[in-house]
Parts: sequence; C-alpha cells; structure tokens
Amino acid sequence: MNAPTNLTAADFKSDVKPIWCPGCGDYAVLSAVTKALADLGKPREEIAFISGIGCSSRIPAYTNVYGFHGVHGRALPIAAGVKLARPDLTVLAAGGDGDGLSIGGNHFMHACRRNVDMTYIVMDNQVYGMTKGQASPTTAPDWCNSKLTPEGTGISPVEPARLALASGANFIARGFAGNPNEVARLIVEGVNHPGFSFIHILSPCVTYRPEQREWKTAVHAADVTPAQMIADAMHRLALDDGYTTGILFAGNRPAFMPERKETASFADFERKFAS
Amino acid sequence: MTTDIATFLAHAVALEREAAERYAELADAMEVHNNKEVAELFRKLSNFSKLHLDEVTGIASAYTLPQLRPWEYQWKDGESPEAAPSDRAHYMMTPYHCLHLALFNEKKGYDYYADQAHKATDADVKKYAQMFADEEAEHVVMLEKWIATVKPPQDGWNEDLDPPGDAE
Repeated sequence: MNAPTNLTAADFKSDVKPIWCPGCGDYAVLSAVTKALADLGKPREEIAFISGIGCSSRIPAYTNVYGFHGVHGRALPIAAGVKLARPDLTVLAAGGDGDGLSIGGNHFMHACRRNVDMTYIVMDNQVYGMTKGQASPTTAPDWCNSKLTPEGTGISPVEPARLALASGANFIARGFAGNPNEVARLIVEGVNHPGFSFIHILSPCVTYRPEQREWKTAVHAADVTPAQMIADAMHRLALDDGYTTGILFAGNRPAFMPERKETASFADFERKFAS
Repeated sequence: MTTDIATFLAHAVALEREAAERYAELADAMEVHNNKEVAELFRKLSNFSKLHLDEVTGIASAYTLPQLRPWEYQWKDGESPEAAPSDRAHYMMTPYHCLHLALFNEKKGYDYYADQAHKATDADVKKYAQMFADEEAEHVVMLEKWIATVKPPQDGWNEDLDPPGDAE
C-alpha cells in the first residue's frame, strides 16, 4: 500500500451512473481504476483523469477526481499539458482503441517517445461502439459484421503493445477486464513507474462483439518477469498472441520533465487581458 | 486457502461487499436502460447482500483484519466468488435471468465457504466457514423456490425492435 488516506474504492466513484451497456467490460475497468486509486493512497484533489471521446472515454465522469473529457483522440496532449503544468498531480488518461490508436494514433506515438510521467489506459474492444459498431484499428482483417466492411477490412490490425514499445513507452502492461483486481495492480504499477506507462486492457463489447465473451478462455498470465531490455521485450512481443496479461515491459528511461520557467506574473496577465 | 481467522474474515467481508456492490451496479445499469423490473430485483439482491455483509462485518469487528490489496485476495477466478460476472448481464434480461444469475452467484459463494470449511486447520475458520456455507445453502434453496414462481422468458426475449446494431 502507498501512503494511506483511508479512502476506499467507493470514495473514488462519482454519483453519475454509467450509461454503458450492461455486460460491457468497461464497468470492470472502472472498478479496477477506483480500487487502484484507493490503493495509491492519494487524496482526490491530487489526481487528474483525462479522456477523449468514445464509450470508454466517459470514465472520468464516473470517478470522483479532477476530470477532463477532451476532444476525440486528444486525451494524451491534454494529459501531458496537465502534467507539465502541474507535476505534483498524478495524471491518468483513458480511452478506447479507436480514440487512442486511430484518431489519436499520432499523439499516442509521440506520448510514448516523450515519456512524460503519466499513465494511459486503453480499453480495447476492437470496435467503434458509440457509433454503432464499425471496425477499429485493432479489429481483425476478416471481421465482417459491420455494414461498412461487409467483407472485413483486409488490413492488418495495430498491435498496441508492440506500437507502444517501438514508440518508446517506458512501461507496458496488458490486462483483461474479467480480472479487475489484476488490472488494478497493473494500474498501480504503471502509476508508480516513472515515465509514460501504457496499460492495454482487453475490454469486451458485448453488444457489437458478443464473441469477445470468450476472451476469458483466451487470456493467459505472463509467466516471466517483466522485460527490462527493449530487445528482450521486442522478442517477447513479436511472439505474443495478444492475450498475454501482466507487465510486459518495465524500462528505465528517465521521465521527460522540462525545467519550468516563470515567464509571466499574474500582474503581467492582468495588464495583458484585464486592462 | 486462508489459514487464520482474520484473513478468512477479511475475505468474507470483501466477498459480501463486492456482491452487494455488483448487484447495485447492475441495478443502476438496468435503470439507465429502462429495464425497471430487473433493476428493482437487482436492488433487492443488493440489499440482501448488504444484510449478510452487516452480519459478517459484525463478526469481524472482534478481530483486527489485515489490509489486503485488491490483488492479494486469494480468489480462485481472480474476482470474489459472489460478485455477478458482468458479462452475463443483458439490457433486456428478464427477472428469470436475473434470479438465475443470483443462483449462480450463491452457488459459487457456497462452494467457496464449503471449500474453506473442508480445508481449514484453524478451528475458528472451520466454524465460521461452515456457518457461512450453511447460510449460502439456505440462499440457494430460497432462490430455487423463488425461480419456480417466475415464468421462463419466451423465445425472442432479447428481440429489440430498435436494435443497437441495426443502423450505421
């Protein structure tokens, strides 16, 4: 346990009721996030939770910390801005596979390489759920249940953990929504690890991808210690089936935190904007 | 297996609390999706679980329980056994499905406590685990009787005239 505050997971839930479909994996991710926040032992006002757009991006509204529901695909630059302006805050960002790896794909790569000290949770259901079920960047090429891609996309999907590693993320883990206690552990480890931490969570969409209920039989825990060398992690992820859960990589790059300089006083702002 | 009474009771408290919380979460979800009948049922189940939680918490108040981190609990499937599996919910589920889900959870709760009672070497763990297992067995019987009064859903119970996957 980190420094205890006596706050429980329930204290980190807001009064807003989720509007996710019953059965959605994101409920379990919310449970994992609130358990992780309670375990971290930080007061609520020292935590900021940023998201983009999509079903999963609603999650900050359901938590009782500072939240910002941003623009589609732009959770990471907003989160980086928050962290650079307020390094004392614990910053988490969250979203789905479409928001994070397609619309926000470019931001994802650069957030990985910048290595600002924050934790990014991607709830991956391999579909755009909020817009009624289109193929996303992580959808298999032969998934043909969308009217937009009746014969499948025919395009190789993005493998999020490999992309994160190639782009420079300092901590990479994968969890499964069916095991929220383990996901809570991964989030805590990610927050405590310096630099950019990427938590890839397989979170089934029971409405548009009901077959993902079977993920519970496909996932398997990593039976090795986390790779610390990029070459080892590359090798492991090259052979990975996409269902290995646990900490896949824990690097040792120092977090990016430029020295802050006072460039303007409040008096300067007043002169510029209020006079 | 939990070897001492304080650790066993810490598990029992978490088991009952998470069961109550999960039912409340499902009740909220059903309310949001305008399935009021099932929402009310899940709310009732949550309240029943809270009563059991109060009982376990009362017993546990005589002990100093260990502060376990979420992943330190020794659950067979990663989650506490009486927390309803989220993926078994459906926005059009009927009271019949709801009660069957509750029965599934109670049976898992019974299996957990019965297993603890069977394997325990500590006399107090054995005593309380058997007591809780007996209570879960009563709940199973009650639910089976309750289910017998509820009509099974007709074919097409999940047919939605405005299905979420229909329009793009």
